[in-house]
Amino acid sequence: MSNPAMQLIGLKKTIRNKPIIKGLDFNIYPGEVFGFLGPNGAGKTTTIRMMVGLMKITEGDVLIEGKSIKTDFKEAIKHVGAIVENPEMYPFMTGRKNLEHYARMIPGISKERINEVIALVGLEKPINEKVGRYSLGMRQRLGIAQALLHKPSILILDEPTNGLDPSGIREIRRYIRDLAEQENVAVIVSSHLLSEIELMCDRIGIIKNGEIIAINSVNDTMEQTELNDVYIELDNVQIGKQQLEQQFDKEVRMEKDNIILSAKKDEIPQIIKSLVSENINIYGVYVKRSSLEDKFLELIGDNTIE
Amino acid sequence: MSNFIQLVKNEQIKLYVRKATWVMFAILALIAILGAVIVRFIDDGSLQEYGDDWREELQEENQQITQQMEEANSDEMEFSEAMNPATLERNNYHLENDIKPQGYDAWKYLYENTFLASVISLFTIIVAAGIIANEFKWGTIKLLLIRPASRLKILASKYISILVFALTLLLFLIVVSWTVGAILFGVDGLSSNAVILQLDGTYEQIDLFKETIIAYGFKMVNLVMMATFAFMISTIFRSSGMAIGLAIFLMFAGNGVVLFVSQYDWAKYILFANTDLSQYTGGSEPAIEGMTMAFSIIVLLVYYCIFLAASWWAFTKRDVAGQ
Ligand SMILES: Nc1ncnc2c1ncn2[C@@H]1O[C@H](COP(=O)(O)OP(=O)(O)O)[C@@H](O)[C@H]1O
Ligand SMILES: [Mg+2]
Repeated sequence: MSNPAMQLIGLKKTIRNKPIIKGLDFNIYPGEVFGFLGPNGAGKTTTIRMMVGLMKITEGDVLIEGKSIKTDFKEAIKHVGAIVENPEMYPFMTGRKNLEHYARMIPGISKERINEVIALVGLEKPINEKVGRYSLGMRQRLGIAQALLHKPSILILDEPTNGLDPSGIREIRRYIRDLAEQENVAVIVSSHLLSEIELMCDRIGIIKNGEIIAINSVNDTMEQTELNDVYIELDNVQIGKQQLEQQFDKEVRMEKDNIILSAKKDEIPQIIKSLVSENINIYGVYVKRSSLEDKFLELIGDNTIE
Repeated sequence: MSNFIQLVKNEQIKLYVRKATWVMFAILALIAILGAVIVRFIDDGSLQEYGDDWREELQEENQQITQQMEEANSDEMEFSEAMNPATLERNNYHLENDIKPQGYDAWKYLYENTFLASVISLFTIIVAAGIIANEFKWGTIKLLLIRPASRLKILASKYISILVFALTLLLFLIVVSWTVGAILFGVDGLSSNAVILQLDGTYEQIDLFKETIIAYGFKMVNLVMMATFAFMISTIFRSSGMAIGLAIFLMFAGNGVVLFVSQYDWAKYILFANTDLSQYTGGSEPAIEGMTMAFSIIVLLVYYCIFLAASWWAFTKRDVAGQ
């Protein structure tokens, strides 16, 4: 595996004697999208603020491309593009003027590069309008454009799906996947809603009360051995239910045109074969990846802000 | 270095893209123009031009004044009573020292507009109070501080930007005042020697050009101190309203406070006892006995360093957190 793009080493933050972040240890690798998931107040923004040097680190360190954000700020931060909390820009300037402003702060960003990022996030049309008139979705995109100006190897987006409609979320997902897969960027995306980031992440770390309680690969959740709810859409649910109950000794539920049963991954082909052999028409098979969702809901249920 | 210039450029762009900044320039221009119009059209005798036979003209004028003063009923001519002895005295100074009275011109108007430096101070305080606090208010501070530029550099670029702004306003005031003056009063040439009423009531001839520079210079000392103070307050409290309020209140109330406590020895260490360096010139007495220009300059430097150090600490050492 390649060297980590970012390393968190025993990262802690105490504010007024109150531990907010209680020791985070994890790595983020080039080309992966890391979901940073946790309920409101869990400490996602605080962690991100420490990653980019906005907040002092009480204990531990953050290494970016091997450089410490504490002791080697300039060398570390130049690899990072970020949005922290809301994508706030100067409302009285146009989108382009905002980008030019940030471009001036880093040597070597050409006019072409500015146009490139504008095109990448699809803001060509409103780019010469004042940002004060942008919708939240447009500001989110401008925020991403701003973060990408200097071709960072790490992109940090704090709740980028907040306030976006499903099509906006889909679009953000597309940029993020492209960046990770084509440009080998390490992307960190925080969210308090699993459903909004699940599909864009390779790995998800769950944070609660300032501690990481689980890090899961999104693909892992379909383990061979794990039981998942399998939804099968059929033309005749009654016959399907009977057939499967007889053959597999499983409890089968019905829901509208679906039958639902609990099965391991390697059982699914046999189930389908058995249905086909009875001449039942199958319109769809859907595996609900319950484990992560359940784990998350379980956690979110008793997150207390101490 | 070029990086630093880019930062200053950013600050200037953000300043001038907002209408409020242009309103400041407009107000300054308006005051300078109105002032000239008032001087031009409300003639109190100061616009009198004298020819080659100015000695006779002055003597004639003196005679007239003396006559008027004798004739005048005490309650009827209060205005000329107040004015005439002064005019008499000035005329006598010209005659005794054999200096031809100069007409009122652009240079003189520029000199008299020194008081407008207070307006520049006011505007600079407003800008200084907002230049950091606004970034916090807008939330843009986060994007500003996650670039490969140290916080110290960003702080310095903002501070320099304030000084550049003040200097721009000053140049603007000078150009507008002089131009309006030139249009309404004409120009008498640069080597103008003027006779000016001193603070102690006597008249004296001065080199107007030099005096103008000195007068504006003293005002700039006050400006820099107050702007730096406002900058510090806004950096510490991250709120522009408080910084503007406090700085302007102290600018106007400061002298009163000094007067109020002037019997105490420590009063001379108060910032406002020292910000007006012109107190040591023109034959006037300093605010508190025993103070000298050198003393004031040292006190000002100490304050200045404290203000900058406090701003530096507040900006570079503290967390940028929400709320
Ligand atoms: N400046 C601060 N002072 C005190 N407490 C803070 C500060 N910033 C954040 N917190 C606390 O830290 C916890 C984590 O906050 P945050 O990182 O914003 O959570 P998240 O982004 O996951 O919603 C919260 O309980 C919050 O109240
Ligand atoms: Mg947050």
